[in-house]
Amino acid sequence: MFKEENPAKDIKTADTVIGASVKVEGDFNSDHDIIIEGSVSGNVKTKNNLKIGKNSKVKAEISAKNAFIAGTVTGNVVVQDKLHVTSDAEIKGNITASLIMVELGAKLNGQCRITPTPEALNNNSLPKKE
Amino acid sequence: MSYLYIYDNFLSAKKYQSSLYKIENRLVDLGIKGKVVRLNVLKNMNEVVEDGIKADITTVVVIGDDLSFSKIINIIAKKDLVLGIIPVNNKSKFAKILGVPPAHQACEILAQRIIKEVDLGMVGHYYFIDSATITNEETTVKFGSYNASPSSKQNIVSFNNLNVLSELNIDNKFNPTDGQLELVIQNTDVLLTKNKSTTILPFTKVSVECQQPGAFIVIDQITKLKPPTTVQIAPNKLKVIVGAQRMF
Repeated sequence: MFKEENPAKDIKTADTVIGASVKVEGDFNSDHDIIIEGSVSGNVKTKNNLKIGKNSKVKAEISAKNAFIAGTVTGNVVVQDKLHVTSDAEIKGNITASLIMVELGAKLNGQCRITPTPEALNNNSLPKKE
Repeated sequence: MSYLYIYDNFLSAKKYQSSLYKIENRLVDLGIKGKVVRLNVLKNMNEVVEDGIKADITTVVVIGDDLSFSKIINIIAKKDLVLGIIPVNNKSKFAKILGVPPAHQACEILAQRIIKEVDLGMVGHYYFIDSATITNEETTVKFGSYNASPSSKQNIVSFNNLNVLSELNIDNKFNPTDGQLELVIQNTDVLLTKNKSTTILPFTKVSVECQQPGAFIVIDQITKLKPPTTVQIAPNKLKVIVGAQRMF
């Protein structure tokens, strides 16, 4: 079983929130958690967690520690630890992460690459082999 | 240590007299009485403070409401003075943030003299303690490497240090000692989904442009300035006397 412990999924509030009625263009860098519910084009980079909401549209190269994606993303997604792609998500680009969970119905158009970190290998959150 | 007490214009109304007597008596009891100046049409706050500086005052105490406190900010921020406030009623949001109780009870806080340095925001060369707001869907806020703009009509674009005066429908109270301001963009007609329609972006300096010619920025609900302009943080700019119940 895949043990669900993606911190990005449970973000309720964050220092940085891009709401549904806002458009952001350019290179967006942060050291903190980011929630995106609106539209972003350019690059999105955070050293922490990233949550992309259901109706958001992101055309950007994405880099984050953990990510939870429920919206539309056009661009490559590089996640250091855990990536959760929901059934509503649509990703046009390559995804890279240590642990990836993709829900039934998610649309992925790109390459998928798993890069386990030493921390990920040491904990028990990896799927067990039958 | 010498005190200057400034009574705002509206306190000349009769209904405030008994409250002002109580304040004056309490100040005497606590040994912190000082020069008293009552503002009127011929005496403005700036002149009063300048005269006070010549008379070597170190602390300016404003007796009034939130608008009175906001007015004094722009005068005090440029001087090496400590600010104290005495709210005449319990409606003052600034007082709640600073932990200052209303009327004569505020005198105890002044006597305890806990001084904190708080950040101020700046629109152009004008300081604000709470927020500066534009109601305009054609606003673009330029950060260093990216731009943010509302994508729909009826948005409030607000630059916040505290967020007690603005009309935003959010629960956040921002920290006025964290060395940054927060841009909040909120769609005014979406009340039920307020969380999804609210944008919060921390910053230290941005530039603001509006496509609409008649647009203006309202500063602390008192002063209006025309964009384009810059909005930035002025860290630790104001020395203010606070109570133990302060919110930061």
